[in-house]
Amino acid sequence: MATTSRPGEVRDAVAGAVPERVFEPVNADECTEVMAREGGRIGFIGGGTELALGSAPAALDAVVRTGRMSRILEYAPADMVLIAEAGVTLAQVQAVARQEGQMLALDPPLPERATLGGLVATGGFGPRRARYGAIRDLILGVALVRADGVLARGGGKVVKNVAGFDLPKLLCGSLGTLGLIAEATFRLHPLPEASATAMCAGLTAAQVVALMADARQAQLEPSSGVALRGGGGFDLGIRFDGFAAGVREQVTRMGAIARAAGLSCEIVADDAAARRRHDQARVAGPLRVKLTALPARLAEVDALLAPVLAALAGGSFAWYPSLGIGFAGGEVADEAAASAALAVARAGLVAAGGSLVVEAAPPGLRSIDPWGPPPPAFALMTALKQRFDPDGRLNPGRFVGGL
Amino acid sequence: MRCVGRAGRCAPRELRVPRIHRGDTIALASTAVIPSTRVESSGADRPLPRALVARFAEVVGESSCISDPAALRTYECDALAGFRVRPGLVVLPRSTDEVVAVVMLARAAGLPIVPRGSGTGLSGGALPVPGCVVLGLSRMKRILEIDLDNQWMRVEPGVINLEISRRLAPHGYYYAPDPSSQQVCTIGGNVAENSGGAHCLKYGFTTNHVLGATMVLADGAVVQLGGPVLDATGYDLRSALVGSEGMLGVVTEVVLRILRAPQATRTFFATFPSTSEAGQAVSLIVAAGIVPAAIEMMDRLAIRAIVAATGVDWPDVGAALLMDVDGTAAEVEHTASEATRLVREAGALEVRVPRDPTERDVMWRGRKSAFAAMGRISPNYVVQDGVIPRSDIARVLLEIEGLSARSGLRIANVFHAGDGNLHPLILYDAAVPGQEQLAEETGAEILRMCVRAGGSITGEHGVGADKAASMAEMFSEDDLATMNLVRCAFDPETRFNPGKVFPTPRLCGDRPGPYVAHTAELAGLAGRG
Repeated sequence: MATTSRPGEVRDAVAGAVPERVFEPVNADECTEVMAREGGRIGFIGGGTELALGSAPAALDAVVRTGRMSRILEYAPADMVLIAEAGVTLAQVQAVARQEGQMLALDPPLPERATLGGLVATGGFGPRRARYGAIRDLILGVALVRADGVLARGGGKVVKNVAGFDLPKLLCGSLGTLGLIAEATFRLHPLPEASATAMCAGLTAAQVVALMADARQAQLEPSSGVALRGGGGFDLGIRFDGFAAGVREQVTRMGAIARAAGLSCEIVADDAAARRRHDQARVAGPLRVKLTALPARLAEVDALLAPVLAALAGGSFAWYPSLGIGFAGGEVADEAAASAALAVARAGLVAAGGSLVVEAAPPGLRSIDPWGPPPPAFALMTALKQRFDPDGRLNPGRFVGGL
Repeated sequence: MRCVGRAGRCAPRELRVPRIHRGDTIALASTAVIPSTRVESSGADRPLPRALVARFAEVVGESSCISDPAALRTYECDALAGFRVRPGLVVLPRSTDEVVAVVMLARAAGLPIVPRGSGTGLSGGALPVPGCVVLGLSRMKRILEIDLDNQWMRVEPGVINLEISRRLAPHGYYYAPDPSSQQVCTIGGNVAENSGGAHCLKYGFTTNHVLGATMVLADGAVVQLGGPVLDATGYDLRSALVGSEGMLGVVTEVVLRILRAPQATRTFFATFPSTSEAGQAVSLIVAAGIVPAAIEMMDRLAIRAIVAATGVDWPDVGAALLMDVDGTAAEVEHTASEATRLVREAGALEVRVPRDPTERDVMWRGRKSAFAAMGRISPNYVVQDGVIPRSDIARVLLEIEGLSARSGLRIANVFHAGDGNLHPLILYDAAVPGQEQLAEETGAEILRMCVRAGGSITGEHGVGADKAASMAEMFSEDDLATMNLVRCAFDPETRFNPGKVFPTPRLCGDRPGPYVAHTAELAGLAGRG
């Protein structure tokens, strides 16, 4: 027997549910064996960076940990394609790719812990999504172990491929409710030769929106932007990556555009400090929320969020200004106020076509539905879930609307 | 893959003897079989009953409901003109409501539905099923909303691809995917096929530019997937929709991402003694960390055909590259000079830079007319579409050369070199007995080469009717069954485009489990669909 289980412990909990048994398979074949044999309710754990995400599963009989599935199976630098097992960490991939002057263009926080399987399941991303797209735009192929233990592959290992339905993309963000992601294939990008960031401090929401619009009008091509909320407004970092000559020219022009708008921006070669602040905002807790809205509506988002931040002690808010996605979080100082403010903020964002997802919450706020109202295509999502997992055994109840 | 005649478009005047006779158990490619029972039950041998046609006409209007046998001929095929099946009826609705009504009527009558855009597809994705309702979206062509500030727009599916960029151009924005047929193909068709184009190397495919869609399901429900705001909660069903080849439902609105035009674009054209040097140039450029907007390769035969068809003054050489780099002016200055240096290092005979936008357009028109140009050098040809890992280009081209020698058929190569997407054009003469069959077999062998090399049976033309059999070479039975789960979630009755993509007919069985209403739905806060 290749795979045996051990009793589950508190550290194996998924969204608060402690499993009876824990399996730690070493490859996709062992995963199929575990899934075929384990007839109960199953959750999955990769690096454990998003275990608080989602509603608590009703109960879990078993958890499959992918940490021992840690091999990079194939890496063809000339083709810029990498295939790896689910438990490989992002940092591991970057270290290997860096040696060939390449990278996986994903920059979520906690790369030392975050695994590829977990990133696919949660749809993980960081600021670079502005230029390179989300994980769905980088994934090429997937090996999925279904609830019935069948191993199915989708996609392929070439960038261009339209053979069959796009399973790899469909699985992005499905939170382990359609199957166990055992292996994934990604396209890589060249590591930029140079980087520079224009840091502009103390902006209003309107100024953030206007400055980004000016940059676009000037045909600048930033690789990412992060607006961090501080006491004096937003500190906006606009980063440029590429060949040295191009980066220098772009960041200089960005500075001039900001000055013309009456703002002062500092040009920094290394934005590590800002990046650390961003990462802290992304992993802040115990309350963490993700907000989405059209990028130009930042002022409304900021106003809706203000009462939430006011109910936190040391709350933070990071906004990706070209994507229209933000993350807020911190210690909850006043639970009743936070709860009421979250409801108002969610209603406002949903009314504007966006969303508010509670990614993590302290015990006192766990009665809030983490996902909010069901999306318009909820019936179709239910049908999809039933096709893939007819007995509702995979992360039962954790995803949107109890999927 | 079969492309008969010069224009290759389905039009009444170039009718050939249909390969497929209505009422037969028809074979699409070699093993894709549509059960004859479906044909019988839809009365495919006979015209649809008048009373039924009248009900469709009530919905869409007489002028948008085509049942006259002569008029139906136009819809017997898409750009894969060798396969022809006469539909029972063609309807051309003008609104989502009309689409819903058509779907409900077709469902009540037990008729399959085949959605269709401009019919430019090269894999028979819009090939009718005998007796079906062809649901043509060409009259739903309004641009509904443009939001430059947030970089998205909402369009109806019948809008022509190039029309979008034309509308955006005065504002300095554009829509990135640019299939060669962009002057005639529709966005709805692009969504169905996940269309690429020369510039998808840097900017991605249709799937990377579709933010959301409104679609009509088999039961008439209208659903919204995604939208202008990113990361809608729940499954990313839009990802399943794009590239689903019309098998999940009918798209009636699409939300597209639009991009600011780059500050500068530099085009150059380089010639080489052979495809090996050209392939080496591509490898060097990519290894230098340059991501060109496009790199297209043409071999000698393709160059000759393009010269004959368009009159461009390209020399008679073994291979040529047409390449775009774009970005900010300073960046392009660097990447263009670096790429030029590398192209020379790889052994280029000549590097040409267009003097003005007109000359650039001429170069690109040359490339984009490559398929049609084959008509100048051969009575008939087969267009193939396969993908190999980029690093394997030189080896696979040699294999194709060997295949050409063995079969005695000339093969021209035009392809998106940056992403290893080959378009071998197999030239033959249908008047010579056996050549057509040989050309098809040669095309199938090239696909097998692609799969063996770790690539794909289609990079952008889709599977459709043409390559359904080849799916089994790339995917296992379990893989295909899993894809079918997706289809069955959307369309449990397999009403939409049955018989496509999958190598053997597949049904969905019973709908698993009872539908469980969401708590919010029960509370009246949200509805189905």
